[in-house]
Amino acid sequence: MAVTVGKRKRVSKKSKLSWRKHSKVADIEEFLEEQREDERLGGPLDQISDDQLFTLDTKPDETLISTRQQRKLKALRPLKGFAALQPHTNVPDPIKKRNRVRTVDERRSVIVKQKELENRKKNILKAKEVNAIAERRLNEIKRENKEKPDEFLHDIWNKEVDLPIKKDQWAEPITKVHNLRNLGIPVKRTLKDLSKKKSILPAVEVPHPGMSYNPSFKDHQNLIKEIAEAELKVIKDEEHVKRVTRDIFRKVLPKQKESEWLIEMSEGLMKVKDEIDIKEEYEDLDKISVNPPVQNKKKTLKQRRKQKEQLALEKKLKAKKMEKKKIGDIHKLKVLQKHLEHMGKKQEKLQEIRKIRQEKDRIKPKTLGSTKFEDLGPDFQMGEDISGNLRGLKKEGNLLLDRFKSLQKRNILVPSKRAHKKKNKVKKYTKPGHKEDWEKTVAKTGNVAKRK
Amino acid sequence: MVAKRKKKYSTGEAAQFMTRKAALKKLQLSLNDFRHLCILKGIYPREPRNRKRAQKGQTGIKTLYHVKDIQFLLHEPIIWKLRDYKIFNKKVGRARAIRDFENLHKYLNNHPTLKLDHIVKERYPTFLDALRDLDDCLTLCFLFSTFPSLAHVPRDQSALCQRLTMEFLHAIIEAKALRKVFISIKGYYYQAEIKGETITWIVPHHFSFEPQQKSEVDFKIMSIFVEFYTILLGFVNYRLYHSLNLHYPPKFSSQSTIDDVEKNIVDEEAFVSERVSALNYPILKVTTDLIQDDVTIDNFALDEDPNKVEEAKKEAEKVKKLKTLFKGLKFFLNREVPREPLVFLIRCFGGEVSWDKVLFIGSTFDENDETITHQIIDRPSMPKQYISRYYIQPQWVFDSINARELLPVEKYFMGEVLPPHLSPFIDPERDQQYIPPEERALYDPSVLEDQYKKDENIIQEMTNAEEESNQESNVEEEKIREKETNKSKLSVSTGEVYKEVPWEKSRQERQEYKLREKMIKKKHKKLYNSMMEGRKERAKAIWLLRKKRRLHDEKKATEKVGKSRKQE
Repeated sequence: MAVTVGKRKRVSKKSKLSWRKHSKVADIEEFLEEQREDERLGGPLDQISDDQLFTLDTKPDETLISTRQQRKLKALRPLKGFAALQPHTNVPDPIKKRNRVRTVDERRSVIVKQKELENRKKNILKAKEVNAIAERRLNEIKRENKEKPDEFLHDIWNKEVDLPIKKDQWAEPITKVHNLRNLGIPVKRTLKDLSKKKSILPAVEVPHPGMSYNPSFKDHQNLIKEIAEAELKVIKDEEHVKRVTRDIFRKVLPKQKESEWLIEMSEGLMKVKDEIDIKEEYEDLDKISVNPPVQNKKKTLKQRRKQKEQLALEKKLKAKKMEKKKIGDIHKLKVLQKHLEHMGKKQEKLQEIRKIRQEKDRIKPKTLGSTKFEDLGPDFQMGEDISGNLRGLKKEGNLLLDRFKSLQKRNILVPSKRAHKKKNKVKKYTKPGHKEDWEKTVAKTGNVAKRK
Repeated sequence: MVAKRKKKYSTGEAAQFMTRKAALKKLQLSLNDFRHLCILKGIYPREPRNRKRAQKGQTGIKTLYHVKDIQFLLHEPIIWKLRDYKIFNKKVGRARAIRDFENLHKYLNNHPTLKLDHIVKERYPTFLDALRDLDDCLTLCFLFSTFPSLAHVPRDQSALCQRLTMEFLHAIIEAKALRKVFISIKGYYYQAEIKGETITWIVPHHFSFEPQQKSEVDFKIMSIFVEFYTILLGFVNYRLYHSLNLHYPPKFSSQSTIDDVEKNIVDEEAFVSERVSALNYPILKVTTDLIQDDVTIDNFALDEDPNKVEEAKKEAEKVKKLKTLFKGLKFFLNREVPREPLVFLIRCFGGEVSWDKVLFIGSTFDENDETITHQIIDRPSMPKQYISRYYIQPQWVFDSINARELLPVEKYFMGEVLPPHLSPFIDPERDQQYIPPEERALYDPSVLEDQYKKDENIIQEMTNAEEESNQESNVEEEKIREKETNKSKLSVSTGEVYKEVPWEKSRQERQEYKLREKMIKKKHKKLYNSMMEGRKERAKAIWLLRKKRRLHDEKKATEKVGKSRKQE
């Protein structure tokens, strides 16, 4: 669109479109916009008095309130959710008499209100209020009589109500459930293996006789031996791991390692001497073709036919052979039988091994999570810790940890690592007497003083 | 129409299992709440047969649950309570933050409580089921009763544990159900028998509280276990007390010797709880008539091994004797002796016990009482001693109970080096092992006496035999002569009365046994055979060792005889 500036040209404003385009209303628009903004913000600035606009700051700022107080003030403010309901302009409602829904209190008739006031003065209560008071009292009694969580006032195993429908052998289960539900007795189906133990291990394992506070020599030696054996096994495993990981690498000084790395990385690259020779070789490299060109030779029809015939013949021969073998197999029945028997025996043996393994695995904890279960082993005391009487008894082992591990062992808890290790918060600060400038100033002078 | 193509992992093992994350999503619970719920309901993760299939092709190890288990949890009304808790915590947090104490009190007074009665009933449909699972419950409750209020263990929980465990001990005392005790370095092991179920529990040694290392044990989880177990123990206590005709909560007879001044000082509740923890007062009974709980063993156990029946009878007799082991004995505990276990043990077996009045509430008689028979003491010497009583070390009580008879006190006198405290929980495999007579004597002192007598007999026989051998040769010759004279040519022999062949019966039995052996399924036959072979082998080993020992003893005895002759 080319707009010529300077020369005013008369424009026809015949159509609605052109009228809209060429009439100049910007100044009017601007004025109106300003007026509206003033209205929204509470009147034009020149009409507002200075007192309304400015305040005399005679008191210090109260910004130094604590966060707790700030939070308290914040909590007193209306909820943010209600902000959408508030008017966002200062423009008064254009409809002067807007039809507002009156509140319940406003809607009630004056006579009834008057009557109620009078009744209240005479202490006459409504039926609703009388009921409420009675109910409150009942509830209080109920609450008092309610079984507290640490009170056990009934036998849960002896509460079964004998109902004829329960024993009825002709009623179908669905009928029973229906009848009981209608009597207000919830019928719940519990899991079948809920009371089944998840492990064959006992909850409290029988203690080793060597764990006695005053064990016999033999028992104690047995226990120590057991523990030593377990420990030796752990050491052996550790050594094995070391042997197959750490020890298979030779130890090299860092300097040597660097030089070796350099040699290794530059393997295959040309040395200075070689470069000259290779340059010469490069020159006639273009003439030599590495691979001879390949031609796509097509087979003739005859060749194809022959190939097909060959394949069919091969198939036929194979089938013939199979047929022959089948007949031969009849004579081989004994061998086959033997083979089958052999296989069966093998299977049986495998099954036995599998069964033994399963039996062994029953004692082991199952893998329920990604962390492996680690057993603590029995607690023990060395000979010097055993005092031989109750007075000098030393305690060994943590019973809570023992319980925790036992639950894990019996597949009740999943062995896990602590997800978040909380570090204690340490507040760091330097004592005023230990600042660095102390070293620079006082310590120096001290040194000087010593020298003197 | 072609059947709809089946999606992978929609059936089989993959459809049976659910990861924990999926379970959380399904139940709309946080991880903590889920853990809480699972522990309360007794739902534990499972191990699949084929992990990769169960995890729908995902690698790695995930915690898996059965889908049916999770569906079972879905219907639990407690889930709603857990959600209530969440809202409650939010409200309380807000009220506390803005210091709105009025509302805070209102919320705290109406806090939601988890009611676990129905879960106890659901998990343990019968009382016996509950008894079967009491080991864990008791051990944890006894342990938690020693705790102060900790981060995840509220004070009222440990207080409740203390109360319930003491009540349980009272029930054991009244039922006389204790069977075995063992002092280990870890704690006291107790074993009781209630309604035919053996219950074993550990009580920690009574020392001052030692701080637990948080990195090792998740306190929150253990606290949840205890939360459930307290409820279980409470209902078990109720049932036990009622089956013993006792009041529950326990009541004490008013006429027992306690001055009213003391009663007035403390309030009623503290008064009762202190007397409960004293363990020294009998609980008031509902009715005075005795319950006949001693079941006499029937004689007509037809299909059982007669030896077994005999053994069971002997066992029952021993247990009956054990129940009144300390009856008529009066014990006094010195200060340094752990009060709680000893009072429990002595009262369990019918003894009377007391301690220094200043030490703990509930002492019934003083040290200067002349009727005291035993004073339990754990120090090397005592300045003032009474002649009328034994001064013994506490181990005597424990060993006597395990031996099921009052052991001679000599070895347990004050200042004596104690004999080893042996475990009563020996595995039954041990009777398939060779035990030298000296070791057996530690368990049964009468064995050594027998051995000693045997040795003496052998020596005597040896000396006698030499003397008799001369006489015997004369006697035999005479007998031969008599036989020759008695023979006559014609005689009527008296008819023999048909006698049952004495070994016929055992032969019959052996035959029947062999037939029964043949009835064993092929599936178990190999196991049975290997078991029997092992048994035979072990028996042979024992026999061999015994023989060696016998030969060795005889050799020694002959040497002894030879020596004594030489001296003569």
